[in-house]
Amino acid sequence: MPQHEHIEQHRKRHGERLDAPERRRKKEARSVHERAKFAKKVHGLRAKLFNKKRFKEKAILRKTIAAHEEKEARARNNTSDDKAAVPAFLLDREGTSRAKILSNSIKQKRAEKAGKWSVPIPKVRAVADDEMFRVQASGKRKKKAWKRVVTKITFVDPNFTRKPPKYERFIRPSGLRMKKAHVTHPELKATFCLDILGVKKNPSSAMYTSLGVITKGTVIEVNVSELGLVTTTGRVVWGKYAQVTNDPELDGCINAVLLV
Amino acid sequence: MVTYDLKRLAAVPTAAELVDIVLMRTQRKTPTVVHPGYKITRIRSFYMRKVKFTQQTISERLGAIVSDFPRLDDVHPFHGDLMGVLYDRDHYKLALGQLNTCKKLCETVCRDYVRLIKYADSLYRCKALKVAALGRMATLIKRQRAALAYLEEVRKHLGRLPALDPTARTLLVCGFPNVGKSSFVNKVTRADVEVQPWAFTTKALYVGHMDHRYLRWQVIDTPGILDHELEKRNVIEMQAVTALAHLPCAVLFFVDVSEQCGYTLEQQKSLYDSIRPLFADKQLVIVANKVDAKPLEDLSADHQQMLKDMCAAHDPDAVLVPMSNVTEAGVQAVKDAACDVLLQARVDRRRAAAGGSRLRDKLTRLVATPADAAQRRPALATALPMGADEDRGPSIPASVLAARKAKKLEKRAARAAQDADRLELAALEARDGGHGSTTDAAQQAEHAAQQARAIARDAEAARAASARPPRTTERERMWAGGGPGVYSGETSREYIGQLRCDEFATDIQPEIMDGKNVLDFVDEDVLEKLAALDDLEVETDQTLDQLDAQLEAARLTPQEAAIIKAMRDRQLLARNRAQASTNRRNAPLPRAARLRTEEAPPADTLRGRARAAAEKRGRSLSRRPDDAMDTSVERSKSVAREPAAKKRRRDASRAASAHRSSSRPPPRNEQGLDGQAAQDRARLLQKKAQKKMNRMARGGEADRKTGPKLIRWMNEGKRRSGTSHHR
Repeated sequence: MPQHEHIEQHRKRHGERLDAPERRRKKEARSVHERAKFAKKVHGLRAKLFNKKRFKEKAILRKTIAAHEEKEARARNNTSDDKAAVPAFLLDREGTSRAKILSNSIKQKRAEKAGKWSVPIPKVRAVADDEMFRVQASGKRKKKAWKRVVTKITFVDPNFTRKPPKYERFIRPSGLRMKKAHVTHPELKATFCLDILGVKKNPSSAMYTSLGVITKGTVIEVNVSELGLVTTTGRVVWGKYAQVTNDPELDGCINAVLLV
Repeated sequence: MVTYDLKRLAAVPTAAELVDIVLMRTQRKTPTVVHPGYKITRIRSFYMRKVKFTQQTISERLGAIVSDFPRLDDVHPFHGDLMGVLYDRDHYKLALGQLNTCKKLCETVCRDYVRLIKYADSLYRCKALKVAALGRMATLIKRQRAALAYLEEVRKHLGRLPALDPTARTLLVCGFPNVGKSSFVNKVTRADVEVQPWAFTTKALYVGHMDHRYLRWQVIDTPGILDHELEKRNVIEMQAVTALAHLPCAVLFFVDVSEQCGYTLEQQKSLYDSIRPLFADKQLVIVANKVDAKPLEDLSADHQQMLKDMCAAHDPDAVLVPMSNVTEAGVQAVKDAACDVLLQARVDRRRAAAGGSRLRDKLTRLVATPADAAQRRPALATALPMGADEDRGPSIPASVLAARKAKKLEKRAARAAQDADRLELAALEARDGGHGSTTDAAQQAEHAAQQARAIARDAEAARAASARPPRTTERERMWAGGGPGVYSGETSREYIGQLRCDEFATDIQPEIMDGKNVLDFVDEDVLEKLAALDDLEVETDQTLDQLDAQLEAARLTPQEAAIIKAMRDRQLLARNRAQASTNRRNAPLPRAARLRTEEAPPADTLRGRARAAAEKRGRSLSRRPDDAMDTSVERSKSVAREPAAKKRRRDASRAASAHRSSSRPPPRNEQGLDGQAAQDRARLLQKKAQKKMNRMARGGEADRKTGPKLIRWMNEGKRRSGTSHHR
């Protein structure tokens, strides 16, 4: 009765076929050729999936090779770095590497500085009214066309009270209302799901701001009390601005970056 | 209770595979073609379907995994604990719980995105939402990578666990490492457990099976147990402890008396003491192993006493059996001892359970006796047989009643005899005293004595009547008839007293006669029927006699008989001659068949004349050779076969010559053509001219008809939506 690791046990007792390692080696050697053959033959969706997978594998391969090369180069540099006199034609090498590090750090600083003074998405595509609103025919004969339905995601204040529906000009469908946003803290590099407090500014139009429409580039105010941020004076901050970085009506969620 | 097949769990895909499976299925099983020009509702439903379908697939797959894997509370406690030990109870439950949560989250995502798609106003937006929905679901699955991989490992391990039946007859081998447990299991069963001279060679439970007293026993080999607290035991030891804790079995506790295993007898004793609570309700056999290295007699008195104490500590009946795997001495004894003690315990337990059930049965069944019912005692609601209200007195056999009567009469007779004696005595005293009433007294005494005699006679008669005839038992008869094996009982005795006459009982009764069941032919009123038959026979006899007399009157004379005989002879002669004269090889045909052949019937018959007339008119009398119904042998012999076409032509020409009078013109297609060759040529040309018209399916040259035009794509292939008229 085979139980537990009976295969290993059998191997331990009786060994393997004499040519087993050779066969394994050959199989492995053959596998690349077989994959190439398959890659040539495959088409359609399978090809798409296969190529995507292979591309990822290759990217990792390239990265590891590059890492190894870099390590080797550094090792070589280190070995040569013995504070001894260096001939003139070799002076250049170390200098370049140091210069590179310097330039990198400068770039990083500049990027940080830029981040402080501007919003993540400085330029926003303008959204026209006819894209934003759909005309809702009203009246007994459906002849009137002064009602508008908002087609984008909106934020509606929890204590908003509707006007009498008959006279309501703008309809914000409840299915398109959202209360939470995924907010990324750019320095912590962490994302939190936070409550929205309000729409600060929709760059496309002031009317959109007042309606609470959230599109890409809109600045919203979020509740950051969970993050436990404090001001320089030591007071707990609970409302902070964040800019929306995705198209919420296309993604079904709001992603934003905290403005710090 | 759910039953789980631990050996046949479906394979659990990895997270990446699961994503592939789900998305591939969506791609294959939902429609793939959509255009921006479609109505927006159609586009929306197209994408909603994709999202919903994906969610359904995920729920199905994850639900199947969650329901397939056994819930630890639902399986046998042994299996539950073993799995808890092997796979970490918390980890296992968490993994399944996470999959369940993932399933629910996918459902939430689906609900949210379907709601958003309802508001989408373009194909692009629908598609973007669908992509987002599927992406989020895929991400949720990918997060379950660890749980899925863990469950797959669990599945593989479960499949390789031994098939251990917790309810079967089980011997469980336990003890310190390296005391010879696995060697013993290898000896008594075919389980191939690895044996090595180091500790913890056996790292899991192994099961072997053996036969003993025609029963199947399972022997479980456990890993060695070390003597420390339960909390410090590792997974390997815990398996042994789990088996000890949950399996009803006979435990074989192995003690290495030679101490070659590296543990002293004292240490082994202390292990025994620490795990002894697990042996409660189990049968114990202590096996003193490796007696080949150190026989039991060589042990010090203390050690011997220690072993005995170990036995006594569990149960006064627990036995100590010396054994050696090397010399195989005592292996059989160990097996026998353990099996017998377990079997006895099992039988006892079952009997006790059965006895208890019988008692319970009695307690629950409240029997209301008819006497209770008669006295209208308040009883619990119990059913009574119909007619229980009637007075049903005791049924006393007539013989007993007669005996009672005889006894009573006997008593009276005795009393009467006493009275008579007393009176006689009084009469004697009176006579001696010389009283005047002596004669009266003597008369009275005489009378009483007479009465007493009469009563005594009655009593005797009653006793004789009530006395049963002496009865011999079948056993007595057997001994009288030669004893067992010689005597054969008579069944006919049962019939005595049931038949009209007792002698009938011994008659031989045929049951089957001529292959028929005699009882089927037994008739109640056979005698009446027989009488009726007799009457009929007499009647028939009489009529027959009358008929005979009539026939006698109508009998042929010798002359007439001679004439008839001569006639018959002649007929016979003629037939024989006719048969002899014909030289046909075949059997003669009946007359009716013969008439239908080609042979010409004589012209003077009606058929002959008709045939002659028909021939003159050119009609063919022979049937076509391809007439399948004609099986006449005669015809096939006499008619020469001709090619069918040629024959038809000849017939036609003959028909023409006979039908048409020569004054009428020939048919239109033959006019102006002289000779067969010209006619053939003309026919050929006509055919050729017809060819194109045939091809175009035209009736003739003037046929210019065009039918309704059928548009191919509208009228063929699979129809999905719309009707055949409108799409």
